[in-house]
Amino acid sequence: MTDFIQLLFNGLVEGSIFGIAALGISLVYSVLRLVNFAAGDFLTLGAFTTFFFTTSIKFPFVVAVVISMVLGVALSLILEFILWRKLRKIRAGTLALFLVATGVAFIVRQSIAMLFGSDSRRFEIDQIKSFEFFGAIIPQAQLIVLVCSSIAITAIAIFIKKASIGKDMRAYSDNPSLAAVSGINVNRVIIATWIISGTFGALAGVFQGTVQGQFTNAMGLDLLLSILAAVVLGTIGDAYGALIGGFVLGIVMELSTWDALLGGIPSTYKPVVAFVVLVIVLLFKPEGIFGVKARKI
Amino acid sequence: MIAFIQPGFWVFVLAMAGIYGIFSLGLQVQYGVGGILNFGHVGTMALSSYTMAILVISYGVNFWIASLCGVAVAALGGAFLGLTTLRLSGDYFSIVSIAFSEIVRYVIFNSDGFTGGSQGSLNIPAKVEGDYPTYTNTWEPFIGWVKDRLAVIFGDNADRDMAMALIVWITLGILLIIVGRIERMPWARVLRATREDDDVPAALGKNVFQFRLQAVILGSVIGGIAGIYWALQFSLLSPDDFLTIVTFYGWMILILSGAPKVKGLPIAAIFFGFLYGGTRFFTFWPFSILDSSQRAYIRIMIIGLVLIFLMLKRPQGLFGKREEMVLE
Repeated sequence: MTDFIQLLFNGLVEGSIFGIAALGISLVYSVLRLVNFAAGDFLTLGAFTTFFFTTSIKFPFVVAVVISMVLGVALSLILEFILWRKLRKIRAGTLALFLVATGVAFIVRQSIAMLFGSDSRRFEIDQIKSFEFFGAIIPQAQLIVLVCSSIAITAIAIFIKKASIGKDMRAYSDNPSLAAVSGINVNRVIIATWIISGTFGALAGVFQGTVQGQFTNAMGLDLLLSILAAVVLGTIGDAYGALIGGFVLGIVMELSTWDALLGGIPSTYKPVVAFVVLVIVLLFKPEGIFGVKARKI
Repeated sequence: MIAFIQPGFWVFVLAMAGIYGIFSLGLQVQYGVGGILNFGHVGTMALSSYTMAILVISYGVNFWIASLCGVAVAALGGAFLGLTTLRLSGDYFSIVSIAFSEIVRYVIFNSDGFTGGSQGSLNIPAKVEGDYPTYTNTWEPFIGWVKDRLAVIFGDNADRDMAMALIVWITLGILLIIVGRIERMPWARVLRATREDDDVPAALGKNVFQFRLQAVILGSVIGGIAGIYWALQFSLLSPDDFLTIVTFYGWMILILSGAPKVKGLPIAAIFFGFLYGGTRFFTFWPFSILDSSQRAYIRIMIIGLVLIFLMLKRPQGLFGKREEMVLE
């Protein structure tokens, strides 16, 4: 039982991180039809800028996180203006968008590697302080991550549902041309999308760095596959689906290592579990858990 | 800097370019004809090379048979990928295909007692305890024989890399002819039709799924052949050889050459090889302010920049025609 609670907690924490990272990717896809392969490296960037501002410049942790989010947004917007906008203008197809996103990912990752080296880093926060809950060990830092990400998730859910720009986003992702002719400011929608994606990317990176303890410049890349699995699991382009997909995957991945389940699998195979789950779901429900029908591309 | 003027290095680059060219040809069959966006192609290379290495080292299978088995396993891997995910629409398939190659790499990385794990092929358990784990015992005499023949023409300049380059490029040439033939067959016409639209070929009684599956399997076989040469070129394998980035190198060659036709592929492969090898010599300003490990990062950044630039300015590739370009 203790093991179960422990794994469930770990799964919730990991799932909430997958969820917010997946939400950014899913939102960008629904508005821009772009699978953002660079998202993983934006996570890494968030973690490393936070690391830089807390250790080299000695900013308080929260301030450093906010700066990282602003930088993440700034970079997203710069790319929007110098790349994505132009690609939309020349009506670039799936392959072009994929390859450009990959190119961006290469550049971001190598820049991080060049600036910070390939050593592993850790945040200067208390990683040891923890509580006990039915025998399970709940580290304070992870509890904070879970609470903060839950707040962020709720906030964004309300935003998409209620705020007028949130409604515009949904309208635009349903039918871009109809939304445009009915007077929705397309530019505003796209910029809002990148702002959310940039913020959440950096945030997810900081959270993941906190939970992992140590991280290298490959952190985001290693995580990207599980995040993409969450995105597809929750139906690509569906913001709420992405959140739930993230939680489902996080919990399934953690519980798969549980001894009581046929001895559990070695924890190094967790990312494989993510994809086995994904493939099984896709085989029986190709449109994802919440999808209505497969979207033809 | 000295290596820059050494022909030996560029012969090595030429051999590598040929291997990447074969690899990329596998993508060409899938994308150029079938419009299938496979981003997990490197997985087929990992499957074939590791299968061959394990069969030779752990089971003492004849190298040539083991190589055939390796290619067969790559084909099976492609079939598995296709059967499970090819019914999904484009974007889904691409994501899941990346996962395929990453899972292959992940399993190789974590199965120490079988694949050698993170230490690569040097750690594969040998059939006879204490034997040095190598899979090139049959290959080395063969390539030595080729080298000796080359020595008749090139004298002392003939080396292992030159022999390798020759063999690889002959293979690529043969494959190009075969694939060029296949792509003029009715089979490829149907496949091209499925690229544009599912419904019309289906209405004509063609099983769209089957055609796509065959394309993926054919591509995987070619990828598997590239994997065998990869293994032979380096004489040892490591899971890190098969990162997703390698798939994108293949894509880059394909985009450079202009996807719908195979003609430009060899030139694109050489172009890529020299770009990739050449960045090693970026020791002049402004790169001179960086140390050598930092310059290694520059190489991949340049590849990223070239990809972006190509997609923005010449999406039809260096040798493709704009009206032929397919970008769905």
